[in-house]
Amino acid sequence: MNTSVPLLELRGISKQFPGVKALDDVSFAVYPGEVHMLVGENGAGKSSLMKVLCGAYRADEGEFFHCGEKVEIRSPADARKLGIAVIFQEFSLVPYLSIAQNIFLGREFSGRFPGTVDHARMHAEAKKLLDLLGLDVSTKTLVHELGVAQQQMVEIAKALSQQARILVMDEPTAALSDRETERLFTMIRQLQADGVAIVYISHRMAEVFSMGDRITVLRDGRKVASLLPGEATPDELVHLMVGRSVDRSYARTFCKTAGEMILEVKDLSSANGVKGINLTVRSGEIVGLSGLVGAGRSEVARAIFGADRVTAGEIRLHAAPHRGGPDKAVAAGIALIPESRKAEGLALIRSVCDNLMLPGLPLAFPNRLYKTSKARQIAGALIDRLRISTPSALRPVRLLSGGNQQKVVIGKWLGSGSRLFIIDEPTRGIDVGAKAEIFALIDQLVQQGAGVLMISSELSEIVQVCDRSYVMRDGRIAGHLSREQLSEESILKMGVHHE
Amino acid sequence: MNFATGTLRIGARAADLKTIAYRLAAALAICVVLTAASDVFLTTNNLLNVLRQASLLFLLASGLTLVILTAGLDLSVGANIGMSACIAASVIKLTGSAVLGAMTGVGIGLTIGLANGVLVALMRMPPFIATYGMLWVVHGVTYWFMAGTTIYGFPPGFRALGSGHFLGVPIPVYLMFVFLALGTFFAQRTTYGQEIYAIGANREAARLSGVPIAKRLILVYAVSGAMAGLASLVFLARMNSAEGDIGEAFTLPAIAAALIGGTSLFGGVGTVSGTLVGALILTLVLNGMNLLTIDASWQPLVTGVIVLLAVFFDTLTRKGEA
Amino acid sequence: MSDTIIAIRPSAFGAGLRRVPGVAWILGLLVVVFALASRDFLSAPNLLNIGLQSVILLMLALPMTLIIMTEGVDISMGAVLTLASVVLAWVLAHEYSLMFALAASLVTGLVFGIVNGMLVALLKMPPFVVTLGTMGIAQGLALLATDGQSIVVSNSTLEAVYAGSWAGIPQTLLIGAAAYAVTHWLLYQTRFGTYVFALGGNPDALKLAGIRANFYLIAVYAFGGLMAGLAALILTSRMSSGHPTAAIGMEFDAIAAVVVGGTSFEHGNGWLFGTLLGVLAVGALRNGLNLLTIPSSVQVSCIGLLVIVALLIDGFKGKR
Repeated sequence: MNTSVPLLELRGISKQFPGVKALDDVSFAVYPGEVHMLVGENGAGKSSLMKVLCGAYRADEGEFFHCGEKVEIRSPADARKLGIAVIFQEFSLVPYLSIAQNIFLGREFSGRFPGTVDHARMHAEAKKLLDLLGLDVSTKTLVHELGVAQQQMVEIAKALSQQARILVMDEPTAALSDRETERLFTMIRQLQADGVAIVYISHRMAEVFSMGDRITVLRDGRKVASLLPGEATPDELVHLMVGRSVDRSYARTFCKTAGEMILEVKDLSSANGVKGINLTVRSGEIVGLSGLVGAGRSEVARAIFGADRVTAGEIRLHAAPHRGGPDKAVAAGIALIPESRKAEGLALIRSVCDNLMLPGLPLAFPNRLYKTSKARQIAGALIDRLRISTPSALRPVRLLSGGNQQKVVIGKWLGSGSRLFIIDEPTRGIDVGAKAEIFALIDQLVQQGAGVLMISSELSEIVQVCDRSYVMRDGRIAGHLSREQLSEESILKMGVHHE
Repeated sequence: MNFATGTLRIGARAADLKTIAYRLAAALAICVVLTAASDVFLTTNNLLNVLRQASLLFLLASGLTLVILTAGLDLSVGANIGMSACIAASVIKLTGSAVLGAMTGVGIGLTIGLANGVLVALMRMPPFIATYGMLWVVHGVTYWFMAGTTIYGFPPGFRALGSGHFLGVPIPVYLMFVFLALGTFFAQRTTYGQEIYAIGANREAARLSGVPIAKRLILVYAVSGAMAGLASLVFLARMNSAEGDIGEAFTLPAIAAALIGGTSLFGGVGTVSGTLVGALILTLVLNGMNLLTIDASWQPLVTGVIVLLAVFFDTLTRKGEA
Repeated sequence: MSDTIIAIRPSAFGAGLRRVPGVAWILGLLVVVFALASRDFLSAPNLLNIGLQSVILLMLALPMTLIIMTEGVDISMGAVLTLASVVLAWVLAHEYSLMFALAASLVTGLVFGIVNGMLVALLKMPPFVVTLGTMGIAQGLALLATDGQSIVVSNSTLEAVYAGSWAGIPQTLLIGAAAYAVTHWLLYQTRFGTYVFALGGNPDALKLAGIRANFYLIAVYAFGGLMAGLAALILTSRMSSGHPTAAIGMEFDAIAAVVVGGTSFEHGNGWLFGTLLGVLAVGALRNGLNLLTIPSSVQVSCIGLLVIVALLIDGFKGKR
């Protein structure tokens, strides 16, 4: 096995998105028969790099080399030709087709007549793959009947069937049980022995060290280190992921003595996978809810707000029990600033004014008669207060910049009499200046006696802004950090797996 | 490709006005063409006739507009007219009371609308299929109820609703303007209207802003049903007879009127006044075909083409905005 | 025959088996009720009659199953069938051969299918409204071509299509069986069929696999048009005429059969054998109500209710 020439090498890859540099001069090589671990905080650039690898994104700058020869990856087809297969976390499976049909979708074996499929051969080939993976299910089973873990295995089988030489996996064990994880690892070792190169993204320290031949650490779109597992301890790796740079731009006066209890959540479980959550938010404090992507933070927010069905537990608002859908929550003074601005936060085709007024309509117009002049006045005041940059209150909100859109999403709750603000990813996709303004605004809210529960994937934000923070892992609260304990490292240590 | 560059500078409300202005201009253009092509077109009688026909279509399409604003659709409006008219007619015949008959007609329409609303909002069925199923249920019950008979001859007081005049203008035209005012008021000047637009523009965002989605959806389907009931009375009064198939030809034109008027099938965009202009344009086209002695058989075909064109432009516009 | 085809694909059968109770229950209930209510219902001539009457419905319901699986619908089908029948009658009335008339009818259906498919696939227009529009057009054309009157044809070859039999089996039934076999083969044995499941279940997966999803989506609607054109042959033969409102609204019976048969409007969850049972259920309902001299209007209402109930059950299953 030739290990001196990398199977695939990326040199100086950069990728710019409006407002963010997702990848900045990243070089990366993967050798045959190696498991290359890719680690980093949320938003460090791992998934961008993965998408460049599989041709879903086109790099702005940089070169690709395959077995030492210069190549181009401009489309998924290019990547496939080079033998690159990606297993995404979101599945690309068809629910009412069988396992075998899914594995060979688009690459069916031709039958006797043109256009027909050779089912017998397809099932036989699929069976071989499933045996290899140790998945003991009939290849004729329809995919929607499988559990998440088994679906993941089918995804892997699909990648294997493409004769992939370079296999990219994004947190493949996230949904797997211990036994299935062990099977996956056995299979990975087998592939390794066959000379397949594996790029493996993980948050779990244990597998990073046990499976990885090499570890590359990304931070803020840059490669900060490439090392061998023996060269660092898990704590040192976390330290590398976080970095030392501490940005003090959102400094605020922290809350010395929190006020009355606003929200009290006891043993809350929801239909969306949240289990036994206990937390409190008091007047005048910003409480963080951190953890890795997929730990169930947004699901907690949605359960409290009534957007997902609560299956067990209790929510108390100002000491009174609360239950019901979003309309009840809004009436009770809860505001939710959702994770996805465009999908859940804004009516994009409607005007800034219309969006700003929506939750506060019953409060502004108690007799249900809508007065345009009054609405303009209220919206105008909010636009001034939030310094939303728009030529007119009547401009469709889709034409605003990301930062201004986010101000609208927050601003629409200022007129609704809310006392509890649940803010999910307040600064996603907006530039630095707008971030500072958003945090100043959140600070203002708590100064006026509101309570804030803030979810953020950017650990530095949690550390700088929050009075204290809960850390989640696997749908549960993994721990609580006071102001003094709060640091990026302490959050990461609590949030990642150390099994 | 941005089809809505106009909205860059002038804002959403002004854009609505512009949409309507363009369509009024189109209506005027059709009038000019028809004046040139036919001697009969520009006579008071014919123009009043156009207005009367348009008013009936508008009454039906105005309620439907609210439904489409929520990104839904009500395919049962035509069948609704049939049932409301037939049952109202028999109540009038039985009791001799036009008031009771009118109340029955609107009540039947409302009930059908409520049933649609419950299926769509509470049972979460796709609006197309729910109201399509309702269409056939209602249709069948009406035919069974009428059993091929015709009910005709109503008291003059009732007939005035469809064929009476006041100051030389047909009564339905007054109704049209009353409901234009009411509909516009409801859509633009109440918080319910605001919430309905929000539901159509982004249902999830509206839900997460505390809008009670199910209640508002039931409301719009109920209003649409009640408006169909009202339209059925006007039609009944005009025809002076009721048969099972009385409303069948109305569904497609009503949808066409709303779409021509600038209401988007994807929800959140459109106005009741736009629908009025849409109803006017469609009626002018059909009236013009009539005056030019084009076979009435062309009408469903032309309406179908118009619907396709309207949806086509609607789709293009939405793609430009996305 | 269907048994042997299913045996090749036990997965479809296994998944199907769990859904059988729904449709079979409805079908069984209808049969029992009507058998009790009318002595004639279970008689051999009447059962044959149900079969004969159901063939046209089946020919619409088969492609409708595929269309609904792609999360679409085609409500122009009844009108297109009507128009194709009118075209067929018109061509025959002008003394052309039956083959030529059939070709004209098939082309008519195909053109409408392709136009529907292109509007839905390429322009991304909502299927319901697109086909509502083309329904108006087909209806209009049928009216125009006939002036609202029937086109009567007296052609012995045409009449033989419906009335004739082959080896003691009515030809109409054979055509229906062939249509079912072909559709079954397309759905379960070909790439096309595999992609139909994917079009509704996860179209992104198709695109990731480098498949031209739009091409197959258009093909699904085109298949629907073609089947409507073929069904026109039986319809015209049965009535010995082309009438401009002959099959108006029949698409609803087809949608009912598909939905009752367990195909869902979501996730590409379709089952062709269920559609066959659904067609028989709708056919039995119509026939039984006829025997009880219940007017066709009430029959339509019953089918409407059947659809709403089936959708409610579907939604209920989806929630759990």
